[in-house]
Amino acid sequence: MESSSAALGYAPLRDPAGATHDEHGHPPEANRSSRVDAQFLGMLLFIISEVMLFGAFFTAYFFIRVVGGAEWPAEGTSLPVAVAGVNTAILISSSFTMHWALESAKAENRAGMRVGLLVTFLLGLSFLCIQVNEYVHLDFGPASSAQGTIFYGLTGLHGAHVFVGLLLLSFATIRAFRGHFSPTEHRGVEVPGIYWHFVDVMWIIVFATIYIL
Amino acid sequence: MLNPLRSESEAFRFLVYVAVLVALVVGVVVLVRAL
Repeated sequence: MESSSAALGYAPLRDPAGATHDEHGHPPEANRSSRVDAQFLGMLLFIISEVMLFGAFFTAYFFIRVVGGAEWPAEGTSLPVAVAGVNTAILISSSFTMHWALESAKAENRAGMRVGLLVTFLLGLSFLCIQVNEYVHLDFGPASSAQGTIFYGLTGLHGAHVFVGLLLLSFATIRAFRGHFSPTEHRGVEVPGIYWHFVDVMWIIVFATIYIL
Repeated sequence: MLNPLRSESEAFRFLVYVAVLVALVVGVVVLVRAL
């Protein structure tokens, strides 16, 4: 309260409910962490909650396959391991291009940052298109069996996260081409970069457990 | 300590470590199954 008064330069008014406002009717400035930047904190909390969501899906997979002893993949079905392997290479490559974009941003290499972001977006889009094509050609559906359900559940959940990542990347790419970022101010590239690497880490774990092991 | 949620460069390093670790684990499991 005292700090907001000092920031405003005058004592805030009080309405009948007791809430404080400045003379223009604006509420006091929200409290911010002095240690963590707000945008980073937001992404940190979001990623932590999504890790827990993936954890719930992996728990279901564990109960179906390990506790339930279900055959994997389900009898009479097969998984396109080679295609998924190519997709894994594409997604890992996209993390390298994302990292290159960030390093370019820090080094004031605007062209590198723009190309890096664009290539990352295109690689991510390719991943999603290949995933959709894979779904079309699979010989089982999500309702075919418990194994099918958790396969589509885990890969679909990850695909949804890729889609969100592509949205963030599109915002970052457009802003990069508009010249919004500098070597000192590029949170709009760094925060989506953190999210994109999280998406890639989750895919490596999904690919290893669902397709390989 | 490496915190993958603190910066993009740390997140990228974490990704590389996870990729190497998973590749090792998968390699060992596949090898054991083959023997």
